[in-house]
Amino acid sequence: MTETYALEATHLTKSFPGVKALDRVSLRLKPGEVHALLGENGAGKSTLIKILTGVHRADDGTIAIDGRDREISSPIEAMAAGIGVVHQERNVVPEFTVGENIVLSRMPRRAGRVDWNTVRSEAKRCLALLDLSIDPDTPMTRLSAAQTQLVEIARGLYTETNVLLLDEPTASISANEADRLFTVVRRLREQGKAVLFVSHKLEEVFAHCDTVSVLRDGKAVLESSPLHSHSRDEIVDIMVGRALAALEVPDRVIDDSAPAVLEMRGVATSVGHHDVSLAVRSGEILGLYGLVGAGRTELARSILGLDRITAGSLEVRGSAVTIRSVRQALQDHRIGYVTENRKEEGVFLGQSVARNIAVTVWAKLERALGFVSTKSERSLGATFVGDLDIRVSSQSQLVGELSGGNQQKVSLAKWLAAKTEILIIDEPTVGIDVRTKRSFYDLIWRLADEGLAILLISSDLAEMVTLADRIAVMDQFAITGELDNTHDYDSMSQSIIRLIHGTQVA
Amino acid sequence: MTPETQQHGVVRRVIATPRFFLAIVIIALVIFFGSVKPAFFSGPFVIAPLLTSVAIFTVVGLAQMMVLSIGHMNLAVGQMASFGAMFMGMSYDLWKLPLLVGLGIGLVAGAAVGGLSGWLVARTGVNSFIVTLAMSFALIGLVPTAYSALATGSAFIAKPSGLDVIGRDSFASFCFAGYCGPNAIPIIVVPAIVVMLIVGYLYARTRLGRELLMTGSNVKAATLSGIPTGRRIVLAHALSGLLAALAGFFLASSTGSFTPGIGDEFMLQSFVGPILGGTLLAGGYISVSGTFLGIVLTLLIRKGLDLFGVGIETLNVLLGLILIIALSTDRIRLLARRRSVKRVQQTDALLIEGNPL
Repeated sequence: MTETYALEATHLTKSFPGVKALDRVSLRLKPGEVHALLGENGAGKSTLIKILTGVHRADDGTIAIDGRDREISSPIEAMAAGIGVVHQERNVVPEFTVGENIVLSRMPRRAGRVDWNTVRSEAKRCLALLDLSIDPDTPMTRLSAAQTQLVEIARGLYTETNVLLLDEPTASISANEADRLFTVVRRLREQGKAVLFVSHKLEEVFAHCDTVSVLRDGKAVLESSPLHSHSRDEIVDIMVGRALAALEVPDRVIDDSAPAVLEMRGVATSVGHHDVSLAVRSGEILGLYGLVGAGRTELARSILGLDRITAGSLEVRGSAVTIRSVRQALQDHRIGYVTENRKEEGVFLGQSVARNIAVTVWAKLERALGFVSTKSERSLGATFVGDLDIRVSSQSQLVGELSGGNQQKVSLAKWLAAKTEILIIDEPTVGIDVRTKRSFYDLIWRLADEGLAILLISSDLAEMVTLADRIAVMDQFAITGELDNTHDYDSMSQSIIRLIHGTQVA
Repeated sequence: MTPETQQHGVVRRVIATPRFFLAIVIIALVIFFGSVKPAFFSGPFVIAPLLTSVAIFTVVGLAQMMVLSIGHMNLAVGQMASFGAMFMGMSYDLWKLPLLVGLGIGLVAGAAVGGLSGWLVARTGVNSFIVTLAMSFALIGLVPTAYSALATGSAFIAKPSGLDVIGRDSFASFCFAGYCGPNAIPIIVVPAIVVMLIVGYLYARTRLGRELLMTGSNVKAATLSGIPTGRRIVLAHALSGLLAALAGFFLASSTGSFTPGIGDEFMLQSFVGPILGGTLLAGGYISVSGTFLGIVLTLLIRKGLDLFGVGIETLNVLLGLILIIALSTDRIRLLARRRSVKRVQQTDALLIEGNPL
């Protein structure tokens, strides 16, 4: 007799231009089961969740609910099929109240008008499931980040669901608050509901889940296996994977005796870092690895003066400095920052390539009466278009018309044009064509060889192990360890993951 | 690319601009009005007043364009004009100051209220729409109060020497060896052209102009590229106030007196000119010549229909329609730009989990 699954996804495949995000992935959730879905950043977990909830459509594969095939092409259809979800990103409407947010997917109505009494009582019911005593009439803006996350979870409990998908629900809440969630999860299990739980916190997974599936590079490397037949280290091994196509790493000579050009000693910041110490030498690539939300970008921002350093010292070329703006970081200390949000913060989509590159050096190109010659701007642009092999039809081409990889090169070029000596590069290859990635790696190595001190932030473990000379690991706004990079992917990735998940190296 | 195809590219780009379209419409209208109503070509009665209005309103349009370049608005452009003009009137009437000194004081006053708006926007992060709306209310109350307290008959009428030359004379008063200039061209076009050249130079050739455009294009990226965006926002609003005050001066010099009503007609026109001419409401792209052509077109329509005896109400309805067309073409152009950008992204970039493009 064949078993009926609460949710059965078979051979789901999804491609985005240039990458196969999911490759024939299958997932089976039994009623009354808490199923862990694990995988590193970029393994395909969120893509899978988005397909199951109708945000994306699979290119191929089927989804069956309670044994019947269902077409899920929109979030509304997912809801109708009994699939509830708590997404990783905050999806609340900040202008609305807690109650309105909880019932947003299906506003209770009476005679065509919103039934506010039911809104309140329903919201209270959902909040009570989590032992929360937030007044449903509280505006969302008054809540803390953790409370917001809890409301998000309460929202997932509002509609009657047979399958609840939790995408990293505990990322920003305390252990205490997480326990309330797990109480609810246990209750749902007793009621015969299926729960899919995505988390990076292995302790939670081992404490609360029954079965496990692991994704790696868009493929299911472990399918619906009983969790307790595996050890933690085994699971980490499966997540990280062995025998990844290794990139050839060039021989890099780093002068260990050279003084650091950028050094942080016991730094605490206004955004919550504590006791952060790290040092980068000229010609060296220091990797800063951590999960999303670990506080890496925020650390870069505090170096640039966008957030305040409240304790400890920041030293540039041996002397303690206080930096208040990007302008000061650039002009006084030659520090540049290649942002992770290329389109929002890195480039000017509606402006020409030449101007995008010259933006950091106008102060230097300026002559009498504020005159900046278009010719000097263009010759500067031409240098970097050639040097970084940026594909453009002309320098007047708008950056918005370029491909992601070329935009990223433009975003980098402006710092090279400004002759920065310390470069913070945040997620350099996000959203970049696989083919272009390699040329980026070569470029970053070359810049280091030319003497730049590089602080590399990346969530891509393989990239980190390939590029960095040393790797500092950050978790919850603190450095949990620092490793010399042997470029051996297996051993490095395991050491790094253990520094994050807090398990002892076996 | 051969020089020939490059030339084709340039031609195609010129034809595709809204400026080219405006120029064609303007020429067609001039021919139409001129052939149906030959009186249209009467120098002193039609052309000269038209050019005077064009000169004044081009400066008004440029005042708005300053803040549009950073993606902001100045709803108080008319009130800043009347505020600046009030100081000029006081300089001449109460303090008996010479022309240029009074002009300078008024321009500083205009720049100061503009700068104050900019400072409030940069400091509080409140939308410029709201800040300048509030500013316009405050000045609507303040300026007439000051006039009724300080001026006899609610107007400053003392004229320093030279004011009439700027506001009322034409080139006919400049004679050389028995030949005088045409009486159809008023003197006021000269300072207006100078202003256009300076503003054009600012945006096309200087660091400040480029930084204003970058701020308008993407304020976050501008800050992260080391541009002091807060100061640039203040500067754009201050220059907007200064040009508004200058337009107020031009208007007062052509009417002959400084009154609280100066600038009442400015706000609508200030948007129509730049937007018809291709300046993006969203910021990051401006056109000085386009602003000029946009102003020429609207004033030409107004003047021409006036000749046909169309009433002021009908005129305003037509101007409203022009504004709607202008605003929607702005939107359409922006969408077209976005779409072409998106197409490139879709074909070339990829999505990685957790980092949606």
